[in-house]
Amino acid sequence: MNKILLFIISILFSFNALAVTNVTFWHMEGVPHRVDRIQTLIDEFNSANPDINVTQEVQNWGEIYAKAPASVAAGTAPEILVGIPDFTPILAEMGAAQPVEDFVAELDSKYGFYQKALDQYTYNGHTWAVPLWNMALSVWYRKSDFEKAGISPPKTWSDLKKAAKTLTKDGVYGIGLPGNKQLYTDQTIYSFMVNSGAEEIYNSDGTLRFDNPETVAAYDVYKELYQYSAPDAANWTWGEAEACFASKGCAMILQFTVISTYDSQAGGDADDLGVIQIPYANGKAHRAGTVSYVNSAMIMTEDPAKMEASKKFLSYLMEPGNYGRFINMEPGLFLPITEAGSKDSTYWDDPVVVKYKSQVETMLDNSTRGSLFGFTNGNTFTSISSISAQNLLAQTLQLTLIDGKSPSDAVTEGMEIMSEAIE
Amino acid sequence: MKKNNIEGWLFVSPLLIWISLIIIIPIYIAFELSFFNVKIIGTSGKFIGIDNYFKLIKSTKFINASINSFYWIIGNAICQTFFAFTIALTINYRFPGKKIMANWIILSFIIPTVVVVVIWKLMLSSSSGIVNSLLINLGILDNATGFFSTPNKAFVSLVLINSWRWSPFLALIILSGLNSINREIYDASKVDGANFIQQFIHITIPNLKNVLFVLGLVGTLLSFNIFDIIWLITKGGPSNATTTLPLLIYETAFTKFRISQAATLSIITSFLLLIFSLFFIKFMAPKEND
Repeated sequence: MNKILLFIISILFSFNALAVTNVTFWHMEGVPHRVDRIQTLIDEFNSANPDINVTQEVQNWGEIYAKAPASVAAGTAPEILVGIPDFTPILAEMGAAQPVEDFVAELDSKYGFYQKALDQYTYNGHTWAVPLWNMALSVWYRKSDFEKAGISPPKTWSDLKKAAKTLTKDGVYGIGLPGNKQLYTDQTIYSFMVNSGAEEIYNSDGTLRFDNPETVAAYDVYKELYQYSAPDAANWTWGEAEACFASKGCAMILQFTVISTYDSQAGGDADDLGVIQIPYANGKAHRAGTVSYVNSAMIMTEDPAKMEASKKFLSYLMEPGNYGRFINMEPGLFLPITEAGSKDSTYWDDPVVVKYKSQVETMLDNSTRGSLFGFTNGNTFTSISSISAQNLLAQTLQLTLIDGKSPSDAVTEGMEIMSEAIE
Repeated sequence: MKKNNIEGWLFVSPLLIWISLIIIIPIYIAFELSFFNVKIIGTSGKFIGIDNYFKLIKSTKFINASINSFYWIIGNAICQTFFAFTIALTINYRFPGKKIMANWIILSFIIPTVVVVVIWKLMLSSSSGIVNSLLINLGILDNATGFFSTPNKAFVSLVLINSWRWSPFLALIILSGLNSINREIYDASKVDGANFIQQFIHITIPNLKNVLFVLGLVGTLLSFNIFDIIWLITKGGPSNATTTLPLLIYETAFTKFRISQAATLSIITSFLLLIFSLFFIKFMAPKEND
């Protein structure tokens, strides 16, 4: 009798287990404290929703462009995948990323997305991902270095060149600029393009307009500034630039944030840490802007139960009270993309954000003037994925920095390479 | 069929099935893909015949990557042979601490590639690297240099890092060959007045011919296929100077999203390696009467 009872209980438990909807959440925030913060939120969500089981799997940016399409082909794709705008078109084209405009509209009515955040994911008549947070490139420096040198923080390219030259001395590089064929370099060169009025890569008919005088001007000033950067900058990614700034090897760098490393490895004097918007081309103050990346979550399942569970989890993350804690997995790096999120006390009450409040406010202000190549003014074409995945902006830069071609010739050749890439 | 034959086939069948699964089927799939224009993995494409082959053989990227691969093999062969023989001949002599050294050198081969890459990138950094500091303090350099900042420097740096990693492994293989040489031959040659170089050329090298043949063949194929160190340090840069064929295949498949073209490159590369192997075996294999 006992055995029969045990058997029935086991069967019931099995059915109960089958009723749980599993959701796998892939993201690329592999730093241990970020993983811990996400896990805390997942644990809270799973406890409150026993019928859903969310698990996180950490990937890395270096491999995700290869791994995500392969996982779709193999039928092992996650239900939710965090991505950046230029990654979404690939998965949308494969039919893996699901349109989410209704869900985004629902979140928008509750929390109020900033329009710029939605722009980067809205094309071909759909919204392809749920914006999660923003990141915008700024110039970081030490105020004391500028005071000692008797110069003001730069506003224009002329100011920037003068500052980089003045601050280059005694083993210190005036500015840390990457020359690697990598995403970081795409971002830094594009931030100069934005500030000279070359933010549009495409014409409205889908043809390229990369080869123009404004782009050449941006590549030209970058080349001039590169001589004040570290000799191994041709191999730099974000980490090397941050390390150079933290060790006082670089007087200025272009970075999304340095707050975490500055606070933990460089003394953490908040009053001495300066942050300004990227300087603009002379006479083009109205063009002032930067590169900004709205990170998002794509829903990759067509299964109705899994889709509902995924939406429920994402709604939970966007809720004030959770949202601030979510994007503060790295305080001072990820910026809110909803009006409600910008006012969330759990965002502003974080000790690091409190300490560096003025810097965070400047970052937020800079992010409102952010653009992203291939996603500007409604001129969004899915072929931008090919340009972005191959880091062709950076490759074009190497033609002038490494191969010694003139910026004009490099940009012309760069456009030919891009044309071939988007065939 | 004779009973012995059936038994023989039965014994080798697991291996044949395994080889079919991991080699023949993937090659067949790649070969088939090379006649289509599939872009992203998992999507379908149109049959285009041998267009991919014509297009890629003429492309400057393929030619440059082939040249880079050639220099990569030659550079590694020279450096690794030199380092491996130096290490093996040193350890072959009896001296205090010989066992510790024999164990110590294998460390570079044991530690994971990612760790090797992080260590070397830190040591070669221009802003905080120990190598630059050392060279400046010794008066060899006036200012810090970027070891990966120009095409030539990046290529040479990568060859040296890869040689540092693999030479101890080759040294151990050579050492096992050295240990099999009869010591009496060396003693006799000494009596006849042979010096170290004469012993090396006339005794050591001829007696190592089998080991060197295997190292030449396997080492070349292994060197050719090195991907991790190059990808993790330079990603093929700067300006494609360190893009070898394996990197080009990866880039074509996973950053350019041209799976069929990548498959075509793989088939061409496999064919080139097969030709090399056949020639090497035909002309370099030790003869019985050597």
